[in-house]
Amino acid sequence: MAAYETIAFDAARCTGCGDCMSACAQEKTGGFDHAASRIQILPAANDGFELALCRQCGDPGCVSVCPAAALEKDAASGVVRWDETKCIDCLLCTVGCVYAGIAYDERTGRVAKCDLCGGDPACVKACGEGALRHVKSAQIYNRYGELEDLFVPGLAGCQGCNTELLIRHVLRAVGPETVVAAPPGCIPGMGTVGYNGKTGTKVPVFHPLLTNTASMLAGVRRTYKRKGRDVTALALAGDGGTADVGFQSLSGAAERGEEILYVCVDNEGYMNTGMQRSGCTPYGAWTSTTPVGERSHGKTQEAKNLPLLMVMHRCAYVATASTAFMEDLYDKLARAIEASKRGFAYLHIYSPCTSGWRFPSQANIEVARKAVETGFVVLWDYTPDAGLRFTRPIDDLRAVDEYLEAVGKYRHLDAAQVAHIQAQLEKDLGLLKELAVRGAQAEARALA
Amino acid sequence: MSALPQAKTLPGHVVCDGNEAAAWGVVLSRPDMVAVYPITPQTSLVEALAQFAADGTLDTEMVEAEGEHSVLSVLQGACLAGARTYTATSGPGLAFMFEPYLRAPGLRLPMVMSLVTRDTLSPQCVWGGHQDAMSVRDVGWIQVYCESVQEILDTVIMAFRIAEHRDVMLPINVCHDGNYLSFGVCRVDLPDAAGVDAFLGKADTNWHVALDPDRPMGVDPLTGGGGPGAALFARYRKGHCRGMQNALQVIVDTHRDFGDRFGRRHAPLLEEYRLDDAEYAIVTIGSMTGAAKDAVDEARCAGQRAGLIKVKTYRPFPLQAMVQALARVKAVGVVDRSVSFGWNAGPVFQDVLGTLAMLPQRIPAVSFIGGLAGADLTPGHFARALETTAQALAGAVPIAPVWLNENDR
Amino acid sequence: MLETRYLLVGSSHAALEALAAIRMHDAEGSVLLATRDTAPPYSPTVLPYVVSGKSDPNRVRLRSDDFCEAQKVTLRSGSALASLDTAAQMARFADGTEVRYERLLLATGATPAIPKIAGLTRVQYHVLRTLDDAVRLREALGRARRAVVLGGGLVGMHAAENLVHARTETTIIEMQPQVLPGYFDAQAASLISGAFAERGTRVLCGQSVVSVAPRESGFALKLLGGERVEGDLLLIAAGVRPTIGYLSGAGVATGDGVLVDRRMRTSASNVWAAGDVAQAESFLQGGRRVNGILPNAVEQGRIAGMDMAGDPGARDYRGGVPINTYHFFGRQALSVGVDSLEGCETHVQVDEAAGRYRKIVLKDGRLAGIFSIDLPFDAGVMVELVLRGTDLAPVKQAFLENPRDTARALMSRLWR
Repeated sequence: MAAYETIAFDAARCTGCGDCMSACAQEKTGGFDHAASRIQILPAANDGFELALCRQCGDPGCVSVCPAAALEKDAASGVVRWDETKCIDCLLCTVGCVYAGIAYDERTGRVAKCDLCGGDPACVKACGEGALRHVKSAQIYNRYGELEDLFVPGLAGCQGCNTELLIRHVLRAVGPETVVAAPPGCIPGMGTVGYNGKTGTKVPVFHPLLTNTASMLAGVRRTYKRKGRDVTALALAGDGGTADVGFQSLSGAAERGEEILYVCVDNEGYMNTGMQRSGCTPYGAWTSTTPVGERSHGKTQEAKNLPLLMVMHRCAYVATASTAFMEDLYDKLARAIEASKRGFAYLHIYSPCTSGWRFPSQANIEVARKAVETGFVVLWDYTPDAGLRFTRPIDDLRAVDEYLEAVGKYRHLDAAQVAHIQAQLEKDLGLLKELAVRGAQAEARALA
Repeated sequence: MSALPQAKTLPGHVVCDGNEAAAWGVVLSRPDMVAVYPITPQTSLVEALAQFAADGTLDTEMVEAEGEHSVLSVLQGACLAGARTYTATSGPGLAFMFEPYLRAPGLRLPMVMSLVTRDTLSPQCVWGGHQDAMSVRDVGWIQVYCESVQEILDTVIMAFRIAEHRDVMLPINVCHDGNYLSFGVCRVDLPDAAGVDAFLGKADTNWHVALDPDRPMGVDPLTGGGGPGAALFARYRKGHCRGMQNALQVIVDTHRDFGDRFGRRHAPLLEEYRLDDAEYAIVTIGSMTGAAKDAVDEARCAGQRAGLIKVKTYRPFPLQAMVQALARVKAVGVVDRSVSFGWNAGPVFQDVLGTLAMLPQRIPAVSFIGGLAGADLTPGHFARALETTAQALAGAVPIAPVWLNENDR
Repeated sequence: MLETRYLLVGSSHAALEALAAIRMHDAEGSVLLATRDTAPPYSPTVLPYVVSGKSDPNRVRLRSDDFCEAQKVTLRSGSALASLDTAAQMARFADGTEVRYERLLLATGATPAIPKIAGLTRVQYHVLRTLDDAVRLREALGRARRAVVLGGGLVGMHAAENLVHARTETTIIEMQPQVLPGYFDAQAASLISGAFAERGTRVLCGQSVVSVAPRESGFALKLLGGERVEGDLLLIAAGVRPTIGYLSGAGVATGDGVLVDRRMRTSASNVWAAGDVAQAESFLQGGRRVNGILPNAVEQGRIAGMDMAGDPGARDYRGGVPINTYHFFGRQALSVGVDSLEGCETHVQVDEAAGRYRKIVLKDGRLAGIFSIDLPFDAGVMVELVLRGTDLAPVKQAFLENPRDTARALMSRLWR
């Protein structure tokens, strides 16, 4: 089933100015009468504003109850279309809708509803507050949905884990001319490499050592290149096999500029074997090897900043990404795939672990999002030419407590530890900012 | 790449050391990929390869990896993608690549690796000895030991054909002694390149297991855990053992064919030297054999009925050949260039002891240990070994190993 | 004999929605859709508009040509269900076909109720339940000079409006004291009747017909009070009854319609019923009632389909809420819920001059009913507030003043 674009409403940003309604009325009727607007902003009972607007439902109630077949979900655009030549004005559609998304218009005596202005909604353009957003992520999902899923069905990740979705989408984008290496960790643990003579993917997949993912892929890629075949060498690795014991082969391959797409799914520890500490485990975090007791309170060292280390290898492409910001992730994935044809491409994806980080399984995306919103995770990318650039603004970060409170592995932190984390984040951010300034200067010079 | 014509016309003979001879063997075998990391006493071998590649004498994908662990890992990836591969290492390098080294035979990858033997640390030591090779004698690789610089060149070539034989499909270590062979210089003859191409045929490394999008498969999924998984694991192990046993005949056939084509014959499994009417014999392995043969000759001149058995193929152990050889003598001494710490004897001696159990009668056997850390094994040392073995035949069997260089000055 | 996993009898909203629900969970199970109609699936609700000419009878089909193929459905049309053997899980159709089913949905809808009137068999009259009825009535409309509409329900009122537009002299005869009984209270109904009266239509409420006799170019009705009404077009729109004749001896419990539980299961195993034929739980009034309106048919069809397919997401029917939307002479009347309930408070707002009316019924601070003429609100939002039992106390005053916007804001927050 296709996914569709939609208009998202952020009530916290809405000032009730009514510009969206003016724009809609103008677009649809040529006037400015808010009553003619298909988007309705309403004062809420206590404070703030609420919204009545067609959701362009996937299973639209209005369509189900229309006796005249005048409403139809457009399979291509996802817009619920109203055919005025078929409509009998019975108003049953207004019974079928619980959002007041299709409503009676007294001026015309007919119903009216949002049609997304053919893909460029006037209301969104008119909103100066960012309360309305035209969410186009559906385009990505559709694009990915059309690509072949190259993993077998039935991988067995923990409840709420994003990694399966992540690796399926990565492999869809990379395509079938690929050799996958998944070193020991959660990714093979959920079945990607198969069991007992059976495979977990529709492309060749290897279960390398924890230590040698990058180097064995270098051998694969170089051999095919020598034979004149363009085969993508794709690593789907965890942070332990990447940052710790696998780091030498990673560093060597990056230094040699091996043409590899290396995706590190960072869940901040050895989660497949029960939450042991890795070099990517952050300061203060509880793990089963940095436990909380009378004398110690979680990890005492900072996490290794692996993506920055990869920048220092001058890789063809380095980026950080988060499962809560998929558009950003997909954009970087596309860049990484392209870069992997001419050099080492490194994608570091922060992927919260519902089991090991101790938070409810439904909160995964929320945790990932808070990590970014507090600056605990910073989204950026790097190329040797353009340098480092932020792909999400870092000017308006929230206090790190908001993130730490959402994750059980930080439950024990005392005020001093939280302050330490906040201070360290600011230091790290300072370094990134300096690099970003240099990147911007380099780009300006290149343009000049 | 074997389909390409040779870039350069090669000389008919060269004067070089054993490391360079191995490199010439590589040039002639034309692997698709060579990955290297320098390590004493192998260093001049990889330098030679790098120079050959730079000159265009060797057309291969050269990977200068950041360590031996990656060397073998890169090559495993390449081999799974269909490449013929080569590398060389020694002592600490072998130790560092141990993790992927263990894995190659289980994947049945026909990789060729020269092992320029070196004693293991500690004591800290950069000189020759077989301790590195002997430490990995039973992890599933084929091991052959060369006696001469010429044999190194010839055996490197043969190794590709042995490893890639479909009845074998196993990695092979072509061992040559650090110092004595690696740096010993002499004239070697090069077989003609076209002849080697015909002898080896096209690279055939991943017909059975591949990382190839045209033949997608899960390579080495988790196997075991009891039930059918563990049964599958047992069948893989048994197949590995069968491949090792098959290698014995393939090694014999390959050496015979090499001799037929190029006119140089090397004993494939064991070499019997003056054994026909021998009462006793010593067993040797590697470059020590030359001096040992001199000692045997001396003993013969002195009227002793002494003989020698040289081990060329050590893994798989040529049990039947050794049974036949030992059946001719009444006492045996085994000279090892390494130690089995758990047995207080040499490792080859252990294998000989095992072989003796297959003989109809028990004969006395003596373990000699010598040539460690670059120590020279001279005809004098072997004369002592022969004499001690002769005494064992007479009933005086030492219960502890005889350390031949213990009192060298 | 045919065999099928799912047998759906009927081809309107309940059956089509059940089919969609089945296919969400069971993409392959065989489905046989059997209908007495010969036309492609359509909605009875659209028929008055076919009569008026607003709807082209060729453009009212609810599903496209390739629908059956796409949904892997076998369609059998033109033969009504004749009898049912629930023990043998066998359905027999009027054309003699037997179908063995694993699961059966009865969505046979309703049939016009024909009142007992002496002499009715001797005159020509119209009903409006099928597309054929509609096409016939439309043709007759053009010729009629004096029409009588028996029944002041939605079908009758729509037909009457069409007759007004056709400049036909029209009389509406309704047994109840008001038109649109059950949907609107007397006050609202009188506003609606007034609109008809203004246009010359006679609206006779609290009247019933005792006999009818043919005349040279029509008929003459005799009313209970003795009055005689003559005409040349007679439409009987005295309500509908669930179509359940085929259930005789089938062992399926019935009342006014087929009795169903909250999963639309009938008393017979592997038999479900949904839509106008079903007598299901009522949300506000308690007990089981036939609530033959389109939105309920959709909801019930969906629940039945999910339950039939064993969809673990199936949920209980929350109960029917009376709902109506009615458009007359360019004005609109809406009704949601009930207009009185024990212990309720009622707020009425009337603007006689403008013809606007609104009545809000609250019970324990929660919405029980809302009715309006020309004071529009969003019926779907109001139904949801009723079903959720949303406490309106915090916004009561605002709701009474502006129920539409207040409900919209409330629902927006509830959905977020």
